[in-house]
Amino acid sequence: MKKILKAAIVGSLLIGTSISALAVERGGTIVYGRYADSLFLDPVYNDANVDIWILSNLYDTLILPSDDGKGLMPGLATKWEMSKDGLTVTLTLRKGAEFSNGRAITPEDVRWSLERAAGPKNGIWNFLLGAVKSVETKGDDVVVIHLKHTDPAFLHALTVFNSAIMPEKEYEASKGKTDEDKARDFASHMVGSGPFVLKSWDRGSSMHLVKNEHYWAKGEDGKPLPYLDGIDFEVIPDDATRILKLKSGGLDGAELIPYSRVAELKSAPNIDMKLFPSTRVADVIMNVRAKIGGKDNPLSKVKVRQALNYAANKQAIIQIVTHGVGTPMTSYMSSATPLHSGDKPLYPNDMAKAKKLMQEAGYADGFQTSILVLAGNQDEIGSATALQQMWGQIGVKLKIQQVDNASLMQQYHDGTFDMRSAAWTDDIADPNEITSYYVYSPTIDAVHSGWKNEEADKLFEASQKELDTAKRADQYAQIQKIYNSTGPTIPLYETPYPVALAKKVEGFVQIPLGNNIFRSTWLSK
Amino acid sequence: MSLLSFVFRRVLQMIPTIIFILVVTFVLVRLLPGDPASTMLGERARAADVARINDQLGLNRSIMVQFFYFVRNVVTGNLGTSISLRVPVAGLIADRLPVTMLLTLMAALIALVFAVPLAFLAAIKPRGTADTVVRGAFQVGLSMPVFYVGLVLLIVFAAGLRWFPVGGYGDTFVQHLYHLFLPAVTLALSLSAVLMRNLRAAIIGVIGAEYVDFARAKGLKSRLIMTRHVLRNALISTVTLFGLQIGVLLSGAVITETVFAIPGAGRLMIDSIYGRDYPVIQGLTIALAVVVSLIFLATDIVQAWLDPRVAR
Repeated sequence: MKKILKAAIVGSLLIGTSISALAVERGGTIVYGRYADSLFLDPVYNDANVDIWILSNLYDTLILPSDDGKGLMPGLATKWEMSKDGLTVTLTLRKGAEFSNGRAITPEDVRWSLERAAGPKNGIWNFLLGAVKSVETKGDDVVVIHLKHTDPAFLHALTVFNSAIMPEKEYEASKGKTDEDKARDFASHMVGSGPFVLKSWDRGSSMHLVKNEHYWAKGEDGKPLPYLDGIDFEVIPDDATRILKLKSGGLDGAELIPYSRVAELKSAPNIDMKLFPSTRVADVIMNVRAKIGGKDNPLSKVKVRQALNYAANKQAIIQIVTHGVGTPMTSYMSSATPLHSGDKPLYPNDMAKAKKLMQEAGYADGFQTSILVLAGNQDEIGSATALQQMWGQIGVKLKIQQVDNASLMQQYHDGTFDMRSAAWTDDIADPNEITSYYVYSPTIDAVHSGWKNEEADKLFEASQKELDTAKRADQYAQIQKIYNSTGPTIPLYETPYPVALAKKVEGFVQIPLGNNIFRSTWLSK
Repeated sequence: MSLLSFVFRRVLQMIPTIIFILVVTFVLVRLLPGDPASTMLGERARAADVARINDQLGLNRSIMVQFFYFVRNVVTGNLGTSISLRVPVAGLIADRLPVTMLLTLMAALIALVFAVPLAFLAAIKPRGTADTVVRGAFQVGLSMPVFYVGLVLLIVFAAGLRWFPVGGYGDTFVQHLYHLFLPAVTLALSLSAVLMRNLRAAIIGVIGAEYVDFARAKGLKSRLIMTRHVLRNALISTVTLFGLQIGVLLSGAVITETVFAIPGAGRLMIDSIYGRDYPVIQGLTIALAVVVSLIFLATDIVQAWLDPRVAR
């Protein structure tokens, strides 16, 4: 009996200590090393991940993405309801929510923010809100969005950075003739709705964010979030220097750790090497037009593309390039993307099958082709070099062309490349974004590949309006089946986001869509 | 008087040089494959978005019209607005160029502090022990790539001994000097090697000259002979080399700035070339051209002072 009592006491003490160890601590500034600086911190006009991934700390959306990147959480709206016909969304705004200058967030701010984000001439993300017909305000706390057509991804679109809520009056008071001019001016003295406020920005070097004293969300201790006093972003482009600074205690976190250093940092005593689940996929995209530069294009033949897929040993590439961090792809979209289907790695390595397919396609002796890779990008160069060897075995001679980003873009847009290395990360918790770019030909010719499948196009168009989840899942299953078997890609691997944190950092998350969420981050002392 | 008119002539010569650079840069950036809009918007850009942005940027006008606006703006002191960063180019340059100039200046001073005494030490007894050791050491310094030297210095003196910070630039002027010390040493290593070898050879040549023998015969103190007769004459070619090498230093700063995370003009230049940010490339090239021209001018003035024949 005594023993049991003792055990109970020890047990309760242990639980007690573990609870106190988990209790959040407030204060402090996290120093976070980034590989590149932001360019333009406007929710609507930005066009790069360096902006997107930190905007959620400055501006809140009506609905927030959950930490797994798939679900919806209340943000500046506490309630939302889609009408039965799917053409009206009614949102109830959070009472007492304020901008960082202490002014109450009104339905008018919401209407203005959404209309600006959906403006056809504003930025490149307006398509996400393409269904918006009009936004209506009702009373002190209700916003009604009327849609032109049903949009099954609409609620998720309201979690995306471009639909962030900004202060109309303060923004419109900015200098400038056009909206983009105003955005420029406003970005220099922004008033936000997110957990942090931009205090100072030394371009190319550092950015200092401080806690928004007017933020609405409450922490575990019942007091307002965020727990941190601030965030210092330091720009350290060189991977080795970034890691060195983290290891020597000069940083509390460092993003984009090269895969080759992950194992080493996992065993480092003072470092917590995180691999956050992501929607990132890496692949090779083939130009499938019948002719390129007037010459017949072997890649236009489905069997050739399948042969190249079977001849590519993806497991080996995962080992060589990602040092085992990556996982094989089971569809063109990541397994973390909603409505993803497929449980087996695509095209298991099979040289005999590859040779047979090449023979059937009329290329028993192989052919010569080329791949564009981003100069200096070790992952892309590594994959291309491995493919060069693997495809050599079926007679395909691959020439690797290293070019800079602008030259890459030109060749993509002109459709003059043979193959290209590519990577993708979702911005919305829905398969429609990647599918509109990868599959649906009217958007950008299926990632500039020239691939077109009428059935897939029709299925996608239908899925964009389908509100029945089961039917939409079935449409996506069909799209994936068509694309994965006949599409223009060589799927290579999925990778998580490698972030190295000091052991004292708690509660930081990079969600599968890439957003760095510091809202609930705290530092244990 | 002749020195003054020499300086005036040299300043006048700078004008056509800078105009030439202005024209060449304007044309060259547009000859690069790719355009700012599609580079900025990335692979997801739809054709309509690219066209709209190019229209907003005025890039669909004829090249002559674009050049006219560019020249008009430059003449009125307006270098335009960065396409990707959406801030005035002049402000960007004012922020970033002084960083690179301070780094270059520190590197140049450190290089001189190393090179001059060691060149003397090596030249006094050619092929002696000191000469062999100094030349050997500098040979190693010269042959190591900058990013490697930088990383080694960071690992040893910053992360290991913690004498210096691991990258960054600091907030105050004293912090800037402290943060820039290791990167300046990195840059200085190869420069001092070049300078030392040149100066050593020049000193050896001058020491053997008849006027030095004459000075000795006059009974002048050897210290006076060394500073007034040997060093002054030996420095002439080294000063020319030093001026030319500063230009090289500025370009070497690109890698150093990346390794040490310094927000300088080198990194800005590389980023804007990759991003096809025409206004930044143009503005920065003009600014760098002015800086380099001024350095050459200063070099020429020092040379004219060392050797009055130059100014004639």
